[in-house]
Formats: sequence, C-alpha cells, structure tokens
Amino acid sequence: MTFILETKKLKRTGYLPAFLGAGIISCAFPVVNMLARSETFTSLPGNPFEILMDANWQMMAMLNILITICGACIMYHTEYADNGALKMDTLPVKPIRLFFCKFLITAEILAAIILFQIIVLTGCAVYWFPDSAFDFLTILKTAGFEWLVSLPTVTLMLLISSMCKNMWISLGAGVILVFTFSIFPQDNFVLRLLPFSAPYQTLSMADENVHIQLFCMVCVLQTAVLYLGETLYVKARRYLA
Amino acid sequence: MHILETHNLTKTYGDFTAVSNLNLHIRKGRVYGFLGPNGAGKSTTMKMLLGLTHPTDGQVTIDGKTYPQDRVSILKEIGSFIEAPAFYGNLTGEENLDIIRKILGLPKSSVGEALDLVGLTQFRKRLAKKYSLGMKQRLGLAGALIGRPPILILDEPTNGLDPVGIHEIRTLIQSLPQQYDCTVLVSSHLLPEVELMAEDIGILNHGHLLFEGTMEALRLQAHAAGFPMDNLEETFLAMIDADNRKKGGAR
Repeated sequence: MTFILETKKLKRTGYLPAFLGAGIISCAFPVVNMLARSETFTSLPGNPFEILMDANWQMMAMLNILITICGACIMYHTEYADNGALKMDTLPVKPIRLFFCKFLITAEILAAIILFQIIVLTGCAVYWFPDSAFDFLTILKTAGFEWLVSLPTVTLMLLISSMCKNMWISLGAGVILVFTFSIFPQDNFVLRLLPFSAPYQTLSMADENVHIQLFCMVCVLQTAVLYLGETLYVKARRYLA
Repeated sequence: MHILETHNLTKTYGDFTAVSNLNLHIRKGRVYGFLGPNGAGKSTTMKMLLGLTHPTDGQVTIDGKTYPQDRVSILKEIGSFIEAPAFYGNLTGEENLDIIRKILGLPKSSVGEALDLVGLTQFRKRLAKKYSLGMKQRLGLAGALIGRPPILILDEPTNGLDPVGIHEIRTLIQSLPQQYDCTVLVSSHLLPEVELMAEDIGILNHGHLLFEGTMEALRLQAHAAGFPMDNLEETFLAMIDADNRKKGGAR
C-alpha cells in the first residue's frame, strides 16, 4: 500500500521522464561510440562484451549516478516543498517505511535502466562482433552485479535528501560526492568499494581480482548500514525538533 | 473524562525552555481554545501532542495511550492541522485527500465528504499548488477532518481565510462535538473567534499555563484579580501583561 502511495506522490514531478531521458541517453552512448569509432574496438583482442563494457561503462555509470541523485532530490523536494512530509508525520505511518518505499522505487527503476543498458551493449557486441560467441549468463550476472553495486549510492543519496529540506543542498552534496569519488585512484581497492565509486566497477574488473563476492557483500552491508542510519536519523529528528 | 492530558510536559532547547511543566486536561466532546502570544509554546505543545517532537520531560496521554509506544494507534484517532497547510503541490486536492484516506483505511466516500465539508468540491481536480491561500487552508482542514477523527488538533486553522471563510470554519468547529462526538483543541490569535467557539480555555505564556478552565471560570478569576471582563481579548491581554510584569517585564 505504502509503495503504491509513494509512486502516486511522484505524479507530475518529472521523476519518470527524468529517468527515461537518462536511460535513453545512456543507452544511446555505446551505439554512438561504436558508430563513430568501431574500428578502435573491433580490432582489440578479448571478449567483445568486456571490450564494450570497458569502453562505455564509465560514462553509463556516471549517468546512472547522476540520475540517482536527481531522483532522490525530486522525491524529497516533493515531500518538503509544500510540507507534505509534515502531514505524513502526523499520520499513522512509519517514516522509515516511506524511506524504504522510496528506496524500492529508485532501485526498481535503476534495475530496469541497467538491464536496458546491458541489452544495448549486448546488441552492439552481437552487431559489431558477429563472429564471436556470447555467454548470456555472464551478461545477466553483469546486469545484476552493476545493479547491486549501485544500491549503496541510492541509499546514501536518499539519506542525504531526506536530511535536507532545501533541494539545492542535497543536489550540491550529490554532485560534489560524484566528482570527489571520480578523482580518487581506481587502483585503491577500499576506495572502489565506497558509494559513488562502486557503480563504476565492472564485473570483469572485479573478477580479475577475485573480488566479486566481497564487492557484493560489502555493497549489501553498506546499504543496510545506511538504512540503519536513516532509522536513527528519523528518531533523532524527533528529539531535535 | 479527560481524553487528552499532559503531565509536567516540558521542552527545552539548550538553555531556552519553550514549554515548562505543562498540565493540560482536555475533556471529551469539548472545544478547547489554546491561547497565548507568539512564542508562548503553543505550537511546540501541539507538536508534542502529535509526537512530532519528543518532550524533554513529562508525558502526553491520549485516550489512555502514550508516546512513543502507541504512536501509530494515537495518530489513527487524531486529525491535525499544524502551523501551515501541508499537502503535495503536484497533486490535486482530491488526490491529496485520497493519499490520507488510504493511509487511514477509510472508504472512498470520505474524500468527497471532507471536500464538501470545507467547500472545495468544485476545485477538487485543481492542482493544490494552484490553490489560493484560503483554499490551501481549507485543504489542510479537509486533511484533518477526513474520516471524522475523534480528536482534532488545529493550530491557527483560520489563518489566511476571508471573513466568510472564518465564519464557516468557526461554525464547523463549533458543530463538530455534537455532530461527530469529536474533541477539538484549537489555537488561534483571533480571540473573538475563540470566545465564540471554545467551551474551555487554556492560556499559555512563556511556556507556563496561566489559566485552564471554562469561560465562566476565566471570568470569575479575572473578576477576582481585577482584570477587565468585557471580552476575552481584554482579559487575555491583562492576564499576559500581569504575568510579564511579574517575570520582570519580559515580553
């Protein structure tokens, strides 16, 4: 019930068009990249899907993170702009449940976008590398992995947005975090595990270092810890209000 | 019988005490006028009654239940309007009330009833952000009244309304205890309005309760203290002024 209500609240906010737009742009990126310089990639040795992931995923992941930031900001701006959140606080509904439903909505839409991105990348690989064989199970695993490593970023961004009544502060914080983490060295394993940094990892990069399981476990743990952080924030808010 | 009580309710922010040892007693089926100058602690008290703010000390008892353990159960019984109209501007008036209806598990017809009660039926399909101030106020009230809750907590419900709107809301609040067996706690700066609608009065100043009782008891106390008794406004101003003088001229 709460999930449906949270979805209804997003009506006319531009939330879905924003995700749709970002999804289209990110899916178009590898196609344009291959149309412009296919020889650069078709001449490379190795698994075609991995070649395309290495060539495009950084930009696609960046777009995913940016739309996650925008989505979280839109969600909580809708809550705070006309005091809707205050009304919710006076109704018999647990505030953490609202947060969880917002997380579910974002995670679901992100899953759909990532799935489409992986389908487009597979399509590019099939089209530009016609003689190669493809392991579709690995491709599916890639989609699942990319989704899972994005979850801490989703949770952290929702946590930040829930704390800031002014949307520009949460938006600014999100953009600063994106660029801060993008300048961190990617060879540092611990930094690669952090939210805003983990979504740039590809399955093959993690596989090379036998870190897939660790990556997944750490991301699930981070998501749980950030969720707990929101639970504590909701309680603390009543004491400080 | 008191449906709503506070026991030594206190809220402090650092070294500032917003509400101090407040003991309110609100009788079932009555309209209780909660008065006080700006910064007296009325809104803070109302927020504590709704569990929006945790008290530094003391307790709130509503229909035998207390915060925080019975929060959800308490809020099922309370309709509230706090500080300013609270709604989702991107949704229509009807959609806003439908969200509240679903959370409260009310029948679909309750949305229409609430809109009708506050006179917003013809504007139900309009986006809430496009409402005038008075219409937003009415939507906020509809959100409080939907489902006819047994307790209503209204903070300045007539703010932004024109004289006709004020009259309508006052008449509505007055009629609620008889119509729906509802208890109403209402704060307002419009003292003549409170005088017309409230049966019991609580007067707060600097977080302290100066008076609590019926209108008749207020007149008797004012007479004994030598305060003017022509109307509630005169009595209220004299009472606040005397309290401020007693506390060293603080406003």
